[in-house]
Amino acid sequence: MTKDKALEDLFLAQKPQFDDSDAFMASLNRRLDAVEYLKQYQEATIRRYKMAMVATFVIGIISGAVGITFLLAAPADVPLFTFRLHSVFLQWLSENSRILVAIALSLLMSFGLISIIANIQDIMRMRKKRDSFSFVTENVL
Amino acid sequence: MTREEFITYVEREQEALRGFLLALCCGKKDDADDLAQDALVKAYISSAGYQDKGKFRSWLFKIAHNTFLNHKASCRTMESIDEARTLLSNASAESSFEHQDLYLALRTLPPKERSSITLFYLNGYSIKEIAAITDTSEDAIKKQLSRGRDKLKERLKL
Repeated sequence: MTKDKALEDLFLAQKPQFDDSDAFMASLNRRLDAVEYLKQYQEATIRRYKMAMVATFVIGIISGAVGITFLLAAPADVPLFTFRLHSVFLQWLSENSRILVAIALSLLMSFGLISIIANIQDIMRMRKKRDSFSFVTENVL
Repeated sequence: MTREEFITYVEREQEALRGFLLALCCGKKDDADDLAQDALVKAYISSAGYQDKGKFRSWLFKIAHNTFLNHKASCRTMESIDEARTLLSNASAESSFEHQDLYLALRTLPPKERSSITLFYLNGYSIKEIAAITDTSEDAIKKQLSRGRDKLKERLKL
């Protein structure tokens, strides 16, 4: 496909010249600074969450193991709970009462630890927000 | 690509990019510069995945073209009100550029035709390159160029 000469000349004659390139680049640099800040903040947040998850996992595992060991090491002559009704399922429950209680305890401990760490993080975030807000308002006012 | 490398490339290409977007925005310099900044930020964010080092300008134009189309799609209502106002009053001057015949004629073209025409006549890209930038087939580009050229010539009385 060939170019229309008259149209091409018109386009080239009206090719714009920009005399504000420095201002444009300065504005772009400011935007890129903001992007960098957000990227760093995002990376730091992800890193913090990963650390928190690992800590929660490790503490949960250790606590669960300790709980299970304690329960299994205790005398097992008497079950922790019994049922008056007779059924295969309830009998199985009472026979394995110690291990089931140990698992339930471990789960509870894990959930508890997760919620504690999440709450601490929320509090720290709120403190950070409050500090930055007070810093901004102090500077504005 | 590091930030310094990105800035070096952009310093070299920014005038061409702004000229392209200025034509797409029919002479509205503020809109064109806002779109250019948006496109460059998007390019910077995805610059880690940039591989084809020989075609930085085409890559940038592709992002700018998509940014322009998204912008057009997001403010279609405002755009049609604006166009209606222009037709009624014939006085929607925002800058001296807007009064120029070429920009007024470009305004009558649909965005895709406008992109193809601008890339072909202003930036000197081939049909194959335009097809790659706009993610369209070469036949479609040929049709857009043909239709756009006829409309512009009729409007500009060339």
